[in-house]
Amino acid sequence: MADETARAEAEGQVAEVAAPATANPNSPYAWPKESRLLSTRVNRIDGTLKVAGKAKYSYDMQRPGMLYARILRSPHPHARVVSVDLGPARAMRGVKAALTIVQPGAKVMYVGDEVAAVAATSEDIARDAIRAITVRYEVLPFLATVEQALRPEAPAVFEGGNVKESQVEEEGNLQAGFAAAAHIVEQAYNTQVQTHVSLETHGCVCEWDGDKLTAWASTQAVHGTREGFATSLEIPQANVRVITEHMGGGFGSKFGPDVQGVTCAKLAREAKAPVHLLLDRREEHLASGNRPSAYARIKAGVSADGMLTAFDGETWGTGGAGAASGFPLPYIYAFPNRRRVHKDVYINAGQQRAMRAPGHPQGCFITEMLMDELADRVKMDPIEFRIRNLPPQAPNAMWREYFKIGAQRFGWDKRHATGDQAPGPIKRGMGCAANRWGGGGRGTQAQCEILPDGGVVMRCGTQDLGVGTRTLMAIITAETLGLPVSAIKVELGDSNLPFSGGSGGSTTAPAVSPAIRVTASKALQELAGRVAPALGVPADQITASDGRVHVKGDPSRGLSWADACRRLQTTPISVNGQWEAGLSASGTSGVQFAEVEVDVETGVAKVSRILCVQDCGLVVNQLAAESQCIGAMIMGVGYALYEDRILDRNTATMVNPNMEWYLVPGMSDVPAIDIMLMNQPERGVIGIGEPPTISTAAAIANAVANAIGVRVRSIPITPQKVLAALDGERAGGTL
Amino acid sequence: MTHPVPESRLVTPDLHCAHLRHKGMYVLSTPDPGEAAHAGRWDATAYWCTRTQKASGPDGNAANAACCVAGNGRNCCH
Amino acid sequence: MKPFAYVKAANEHQALAALTRERGKVLPLAGGMDLVSLLKDHIAEPDRVVSVKGLDATITAADGGLRIGAATRLVDLHQHAVVSAQYKALAEAAAEVGTPQIRNLGTVGGNLLQRPRCWYYRNEEFACLKKGGARCFSVDGENQFHAILGGGPCHIVHPSSLAVPLIAFNAALRIVGPRGEKQVPVEEFFELPDRNLYGETMLRPDELVTHVILPPARAARSATYEVRFKQSHDWPIAFASVALQMQGSTVAEARVVLGAVAPIPWRSPAAEAVLKGQTMSDALAVKAAEAALADASPMSHNAYKVQVARTAVKRALLQAAAATA
Repeated sequence: MADETARAEAEGQVAEVAAPATANPNSPYAWPKESRLLSTRVNRIDGTLKVAGKAKYSYDMQRPGMLYARILRSPHPHARVVSVDLGPARAMRGVKAALTIVQPGAKVMYVGDEVAAVAATSEDIARDAIRAITVRYEVLPFLATVEQALRPEAPAVFEGGNVKESQVEEEGNLQAGFAAAAHIVEQAYNTQVQTHVSLETHGCVCEWDGDKLTAWASTQAVHGTREGFATSLEIPQANVRVITEHMGGGFGSKFGPDVQGVTCAKLAREAKAPVHLLLDRREEHLASGNRPSAYARIKAGVSADGMLTAFDGETWGTGGAGAASGFPLPYIYAFPNRRRVHKDVYINAGQQRAMRAPGHPQGCFITEMLMDELADRVKMDPIEFRIRNLPPQAPNAMWREYFKIGAQRFGWDKRHATGDQAPGPIKRGMGCAANRWGGGGRGTQAQCEILPDGGVVMRCGTQDLGVGTRTLMAIITAETLGLPVSAIKVELGDSNLPFSGGSGGSTTAPAVSPAIRVTASKALQELAGRVAPALGVPADQITASDGRVHVKGDPSRGLSWADACRRLQTTPISVNGQWEAGLSASGTSGVQFAEVEVDVETGVAKVSRILCVQDCGLVVNQLAAESQCIGAMIMGVGYALYEDRILDRNTATMVNPNMEWYLVPGMSDVPAIDIMLMNQPERGVIGIGEPPTISTAAAIANAVANAIGVRVRSIPITPQKVLAALDGERAGGTL
Repeated sequence: MTHPVPESRLVTPDLHCAHLRHKGMYVLSTPDPGEAAHAGRWDATAYWCTRTQKASGPDGNAANAACCVAGNGRNCCH
Repeated sequence: MKPFAYVKAANEHQALAALTRERGKVLPLAGGMDLVSLLKDHIAEPDRVVSVKGLDATITAADGGLRIGAATRLVDLHQHAVVSAQYKALAEAAAEVGTPQIRNLGTVGGNLLQRPRCWYYRNEEFACLKKGGARCFSVDGENQFHAILGGGPCHIVHPSSLAVPLIAFNAALRIVGPRGEKQVPVEEFFELPDRNLYGETMLRPDELVTHVILPPARAARSATYEVRFKQSHDWPIAFASVALQMQGSTVAEARVVLGAVAPIPWRSPAAEAVLKGQTMSDALAVKAAEAALADASPMSHNAYKVQVARTAVKRALLQAAAATA
């Protein structure tokens, strides 16, 4: 993302769509041309455990003598802590440890900022104990909304100013661009603050054994979290072990121990007992990250023949207390002349964190909505209009093709012009939008053991966020060794395993898959060396398939897997391998289509179906890749219609820190979902965690406009906004 | 092959405080050149300080790549 | 949550004996769908919780109508043959409550007596009027889901799905207390905040609702129409229950009640007057809906609810008229 941008600039890469990396077909570890398991639909190897409720998440960890901790959080949006008295909490029966997180004199910056913590023999006691802590605050002026922060008379809440303005970015000649325009659209758009709503909350269970710490943490980075614990606690990293056996999602918000993790470890040290500290839903909403809001005032021009001429954008947004809110704009489409300036607006609210394709859904929503408005001005079909203005086609920029095949599959030819003329209150409409993402990874190490009894263990210090990484490792190992998936034992989610990076930026599959392929291949080469004398051919003439180790091209000349392994006698094969270039790539593209039904008498919009056309290079597991798309699009439905972190404008306190009023889609709100996964085996593996969530809201918003003939330029598209937009239209507003 | 490093240009060991972190420092990516050059400079980086595990340092001021640098006069930097 | 004593009452008598006259000190627990979250969020802090799961949970025929035990589960109500055939508006409302899990545990009495969902009331941080504080935060705050009728000084909306159709059917509640038992029309049971700020009903802390008494349906055509944003678990933006006595296509008598628009279930005599003696039609339904909302006085961010509520009334009327008796 931002650091990648910085690097790309430093290396002078400014081409619109530079040639993306592709797989190397001459690699000794090249993906098989004909695969048995790759790109098929493989059930998760831990699926049964999960549906049976037997998979143990960090939240489920139970240790002997374990205590439960809770954190006392600030009730004020901005205050100086004058004093903290832990005495009344410590005096309570069952309380075993307590500590201050914010020292007297320091400030809390939002409602929910951490102040102190307690560990006790039960969660109930811990909850009661934090309420017994006495904190004196000096309440300070605060900013609850972006509008309040932007007012000239706003109190100076943040060091260095409440607003941080970026440099103006300009390309081409804006004046000439607008002069060449036959139509100019000037509009304002905005997106809300969305929270991650990971079903498993943040936190961990910490246990000390002397000076060694084990943390069962819900994290997207077991190795990174080890480093985080050690650095924060000032202990050797070698003394820390982080385990994440199963995980209930992170979406970008879980890359370190966080305040609660370090607090948990400190309480466990003080109490000399294991401590369980996982957040509740309210804490998740307040203090564990969010997607920043985005506001844009855009002026854009289009020529009479439907070519974009100019883009002038002023944008702003809030990432909470002192955090950035940038996003890419204009998104994908080629405006030859453009200017953009962005302001980070700080308010007293929980800080943003990376969230599933940071920045992209905001930039996509604003740009794609604008694209439809411009298409309407030149009376052109939105897809034809988009195709005219896309960057050149490339393996990582396939939108032209995807728009065409998607339109056919979706029945785009049945789309009516803006505004459903059908009688009755239910109006239907279609919309579309494009996305792009990087999704390349590297740097993973793995270890493979082939045991004399035929067992195979693949180990890698990555983590399975719930997306199917464990199954991916099994598939690639099984494919490479000619074994069934069930024959592979996978170990992951442990910082004692060989290094792999954090699971962010859709990098896990492209970082892990090559490492597994290389390591399994090396293990097989070792095994081939052991059985070569028995087969009477050189080791490099030996391969494995269908449960046999045999001479290449002649499966009858060989041994069963079990017989081959028996020749190892008492010593297993143990091989380390790592990621190599040529088996994975970076750069994905996709488009999405949505159809909606809007009730113009109630303002209620419902998404009836979505199509996603998406590539991710070589598909490892069709089922898991589709599952990623489904989850991402459901999240996109939430972003389009429902989700909104609502702060009370007068107190900066969130009024919906729950899942009752913070609306996430339920089963009945999920549309019919169709997925066209565009396999690109020649490119190698690319990640797909993020791209399919980017365009969903934009496609839905355009479909709503197509249905009701009025644009709702703000998400979530609530009944309130739909009815207000319709009222505006009746009052003579323009589309 | 040497062990990979995240190559964060936002936070460098020479210039920045040793306690400054962001997500990119834990993720090993191979950026897509097209994606990397796309839509100009924009920054959505969320920073934190390992001393506090918060977005502000021990002195209560913001933790980010612009201010957690050598010679900034803050006595919390390393 | 604050520690409390737990008493399991086997019958009405034991339950009454465990209650006290002091407000908020002793609270009955039935399905627990509402009370448990109130306890966990420190909105309710009783000294004693009395389990009333042992109260009558049956639906029986009585005087040509039905007598519904307060402990009847919502799932048993909406699946009941007579309810779903003769009291459609009630069955439809019950079927829309919460989620299957909530309907499987939640009770009729609990649904009627649940506390408001106002997010200022439900969040401990806000010392709002209803909790003894100095102001109603919704007035100049986030009031998109608050009252458009009958609000002030507190602007909650009534949360029960069942109370609204029960008023449409002119049902009554059997209430027992230390002074004996009485029957109160559901319509008179609920009280506006200007009369009762800290509670929402006339029920005293030492009394219990034990039964709902449904009068004979008299072949009423009825319907409940709920406008909800999410189709899965969500609260209605507005809804309406109507019961019509028809003579041919003419409305002989109508009862029109709105939910989620006012601090109490909001009966609209104005809409009923528009309907009486008229032939049902789209135009008549629209006219009645307009009459029902004529006195609406929206707050800063909930004017859209007027339109939503109008639609609910109109559609409930048309649905009822089209339904079989």
